Amino acid sequence: MGEKSTLWNFEGDEHLNKASACTIRSFLTTVKENLNQNDDRPVIPLGHGDPSGFPSFRTAQVAEDAVVDAVRSAKFNSYSSSLGILDARRAIAEYLSDDHPYDISPKDVFVTVGARQAIDVLITVLARPGANILLPRPGYPLYEARAVFSHLEIRHFDLLPEKAWEVDLNGLEALADDKTVAMVLINPGNPCGNVYTHEHLQKIAETAKKLGFLIISDEAYGYLAFGSNPFVPMARFGSIVPVFTIGSLSKRWMVPGWRLGWILMSDPNGILQKHKITECVKSYIDISSDPSTITQGALPQILKRTTKSFHSKTLNLLREAADTCHAILKEIPCITYPSRPQGSMFLMVKLNLPLLKDINDDIEFCIKLAREESVIVLPGAAVGLKNWLRITFAVELSYLEDGLERIKAFTLRHTKTE
Amino acid sequence: MDDPKKQNWEIETPNNITIKGIIGLLMGNTECNDDRKVISLGIGDPTAYSCFHTAAVAQEAVMESLLSAKFNGYSPTAGLPQARKAIADYLSSELPYKLSWEDVYLTAGCTQAIEITESILAGPGANILLPRPGYPIYGLCAAFRHLEIRYFDLVPEKGWEVDLKAVEALVDHNTVAMVIINPGNPCGNVYKYQHLKKIAETAKRLGVVVIADEVYGHLAFGDSSFVPMGVFGSIAPVITLGSLSKRWLVPGWRLGWLVMNDPNGSLKSPKFIERLNKYCDICGGPATFIQAAVPTIIEQTHDVFFRKTINMLKQTSDICFEKIKEIHCISCPYKPEGSMAVMVKLNLSLLKDISDDIDFCFKMAKEESVIILPGLCCWPKKLAPNHFRC
Repeated sequence: MGEKSTLWNFEGDEHLNKASACTIRSFLTTVKENLNQNDDRPVIPLGHGDPSGFPSFRTAQVAEDAVVDAVRSAKFNSYSSSLGILDARRAIAEYLSDDHPYDISPKDVFVTVGARQAIDVLITVLARPGANILLPRPGYPLYEARAVFSHLEIRHFDLLPEKAWEVDLNGLEALADDKTVAMVLINPGNPCGNVYTHEHLQKIAETAKKLGFLIISDEAYGYLAFGSNPFVPMARFGSIVPVFTIGSLSKRWMVPGWRLGWILMSDPNGILQKHKITECVKSYIDISSDPSTITQGALPQILKRTTKSFHSKTLNLLREAADTCHAILKEIPCITYPSRPQGSMFLMVKLNLPLLKDINDDIEFCIKLAREESVIVLPGAAVGLKNWLRITFAVELSYLEDGLERIKAFTLRHTKTE
Repeated sequence: MDDPKKQNWEIETPNNITIKGIIGLLMGNTECNDDRKVISLGIGDPTAYSCFHTAAVAQEAVMESLLSAKFNGYSPTAGLPQARKAIADYLSSELPYKLSWEDVYLTAGCTQAIEITESILAGPGANILLPRPGYPIYGLCAAFRHLEIRYFDLVPEKGWEVDLKAVEALVDHNTVAMVIINPGNPCGNVYKYQHLKKIAETAKRLGVVVIADEVYGHLAFGDSSFVPMGVFGSIAPVITLGSLSKRWLVPGWRLGWLVMNDPNGSLKSPKFIERLNKYCDICGGPATFIQAAVPTIIEQTHDVFFRKTINMLKQTSDICFEKIKEIHCISCPYKPEGSMAVMVKLNLSLLKDISDDIDFCFKMAKEESVIILPGLCCWPKKLAPNHFRC
């Protein structure tokens, strides 16, 4: 700039950089940068959580038709009310009521731009000076990013691999204090693939009540439970402790790009109302953006008319994929995994690094795997567990098998010879 | 069951007067027994009326991209490249320089663009200058981001131009940006080239970014043509906010953008861009299938469609202005030249038993089933009270 330079007042907030330093995307970008352009084989993506690109995982026809109908009707081009159009809220309430001891009121449902905005709303509302939030480790890093951005102190509690990734309740108690506002639970679990039992969830609810904080139950993978444990919505325990449930169309319908999520408030005892949390949630949603009215307009049809057979088909696909993972991974000596996934689209495996030569950690493993075998998996560091890996199995089965075989070949090549 | 721990949960809510909130209250005040249809002149969304219908090509583009099943997944951070490029080309056609597709960030409506912009610029002790009257979301968002708000006045007698002397008096070394809304909401102003240039020169002298809210871009039907603030991007960096919502009459689609008009790179350092991208990452954006339709929507919407909307807005604003002239207790300081709204002043001394604009609007709702927005929504801490927006 040749001219006399202006003194500009603006300066970016360093804090923001710190907040989002470690998103899943940034880790995957680093790994993908190491792909070998000369490798003719297809890249096998086992790192992300978006199966929508695979033909087996196409969404229900009825869902597509519902959105097309909504566009064509031209009735959903207007602004929606900020909490969501009433028909959409009602449809979500009915959908969730199926599994609930009493009918859920649409007034307790707020529509959001995907589960991501639901997380934004809840974290922002709960943040206040000096407060802290309990997050699972391993977990979903967006919670960390949002909490840092909102100046909410983070405390991590462990999930126990040897107990099917259950919450370490003793650890939880040790962490909580009178400034703890909430704990986050992800069930079915990302990244662990756990599906918690009714009994365990009840214990968690009772612990939260005893310690005086509410529960944010991230059920983005709700109903995607294909193992022996049925999915139990945390909302069932709303009379013990206030629960905010986060849900969305993204995973069960394989349409993360449609950006349609929701928050369900379960608080029959009116505690959230009394402490002005409800008011605050609505205020913040009021000034934030909304999901497209079109998708909201299509929601009643989507939720009511998607067939049971579509949902069973998805579960069968996921079950088969998880079984395939198990069959191949168990033959790999330097990889162990403590429990088979029961739900969601992921499993966590541990690297036995001493068995490997020239690989010092999970990030290096993933980088070299990408370079040598064109397979992408997520380093466990991204989700809070170093030297583990998160593998996505919601992928076309043939790709999955190919990818796992390549991982096996890779590990063989890098195993120390005695 | 009062647990003493829970006593500490007193949350301070900001003074939350949103337009939708007030409209909701006014609607609640209408008389159920009044057979006449409620006429809402309160919100900037004409799509409830069939004459304000989007272009067929836009609807078809969205349906096609949905049915392709190629756009059900997450979009890349900041949006699909083809959509970003289409918007860059669209905006560049009126600029003296070319925008890169990387200068464009897709957002869930202009509302999210506002939220992202304020979040990115906020920092400890920072303040932002907002126009008064203006659009309340700026103030509400700023409060949530702990960004101090300072208001500068728009001058009704001068076409609601910015009072630049007031701006200079307000700026200090913590001021990060000033917001202008052009075409104006709530005032219906369309700023002239010279005035926009002066704003840019002032911003440069004072070291602040200009946030140009152009959500009503091109909706100018009076004598002044619409000039994008980005034209002056080489004088002072401009962040332009826009969307499909108004020009294409689809506010429900939630497709907006935040554009860096900064050819000199004063603002968009690599660090700043990295931060912007990372924040977009944790936000999530508009529906991917709607993004995918953007190139077709922008490239194939005929001029005929745009002219039809402009003609309708001109007609309705003329009717509005003429009718207002006939009503003694209200006056319109400046005939609207653009957007979809106008600010009118109440002469309360000519009215009995109406105390202020809020009272006026609530009684209108009850007695006549007509919804108009009290000026307080757009004119916080009113110095010139008793206006309303319709």
